[in-house]
Amino acid sequence: MYRLNLNTAYCKGCGICIEACPKNAIASSGRIDGKGHVLPQEGDMKRCSGCRLCELVCPDFAIALTEDASTKEETDEDK
Amino acid sequence: MTDTAHPMLKYLKTTGPSGPRLPFIMCPGCGAGQVLNYTLHAVDQLLAEGELQKKDVVFISGVGCSSRLTSHYLQFDSGWTIHGRSLAIATGALLANPNLKIIVFTGDGDAAAIGGNHFIHACRRNLNVTIICINNGLYGMTGGQVAPTTAAGAATTTTPHGNVEDPFDLCRLAETAGAAYVARWSTAHPRQSVKAVVKGIRKNGAAFIEILSQCPVHKKTDPVEMFKELRQITARSTDAAAMASGKIPVGEFCDIDKPDWISRYQRIIDQLRRQEDHSCTV
Repeated sequence: MYRLNLNTAYCKGCGICIEACPKNAIASSGRIDGKGHVLPQEGDMKRCSGCRLCELVCPDFAIALTEDASTKEETDEDK
Repeated sequence: MTDTAHPMLKYLKTTGPSGPRLPFIMCPGCGAGQVLNYTLHAVDQLLAEGELQKKDVVFISGVGCSSRLTSHYLQFDSGWTIHGRSLAIATGALLANPNLKIIVFTGDGDAAAIGGNHFIHACRRNLNVTIICINNGLYGMTGGQVAPTTAAGAATTTTPHGNVEDPFDLCRLAETAGAAYVARWSTAHPRQSVKAVVKGIRKNGAAFIEILSQCPVHKKTDPVEMFKELRQITARSTDAAAMASGKIPVGEFCDIDKPDWISRYQRIIDQLRRQEDHSCTV
């Protein structure tokens, strides 16, 4: 499974990552932060395919996707 | 750089002598940051494949929102130069070192208005530069005034009742003037934009890539709405039905091989050197 790492200091809450995500894995936090921005947060990350489109479309270099090896789902080959 | 940081941050100056340089100066949802992100992804790919050397990459920009993307932020050789004349400075840099891979960031006002002549002649010369034009259809930095690329009928701060002029089609201009590679995409076409920049950097000669962008501040719209709109108002240039309905064509318009400026110069230099050597030996 992938984790969404958001740099809250860089993110300006434009919401383009939420719109661009083809799997709808990113959600809005719905909370206004100290600078008046509504930041995104992890949504249903089980849907995330790791395409990294969120990293690519981010205008503020605030998102990084990391793969969490401990929660990697077992495939038939692994067994 | 930790793995929880954005992969392109390795190419950015996060701090400077006067403190942190990030977060970006750009307004929330500005397309300029996205275009920089696409360009850095393309450069990163070419660096990883060994096609580019970091020491050969030079970014040059003029003045405007789009032009804030270079020397203040990039850990590459870069120049934040004079309004509209970024291509003239790129020409000088190329003459000093013909091996450079120059990427020029320019806005629609910078390229089409004040720098219009430099732009036309850089294309005509087939100058060895990759020109990335961030077209938001207005002058963002100075307050959202009408630009040569503003759509007819569009409201800006200086055309509150709608623009009475037709916009410049920069891709057709670049193609007609003689650029070797011409493409148009929008910020809502991320993968295509990265591919176009990769092709543009590989191209021997002038490559012009126009990326339609959003200015949510002066358009007073939500960035997400503008991002969606860019998908809706554009269509592949090969889609005849969509073109007939007045959508903005996107795609590659020109991809030809023709003699580039530097190699034509080099040929004359080599020829004259040979003649000189010959005359010395006689």
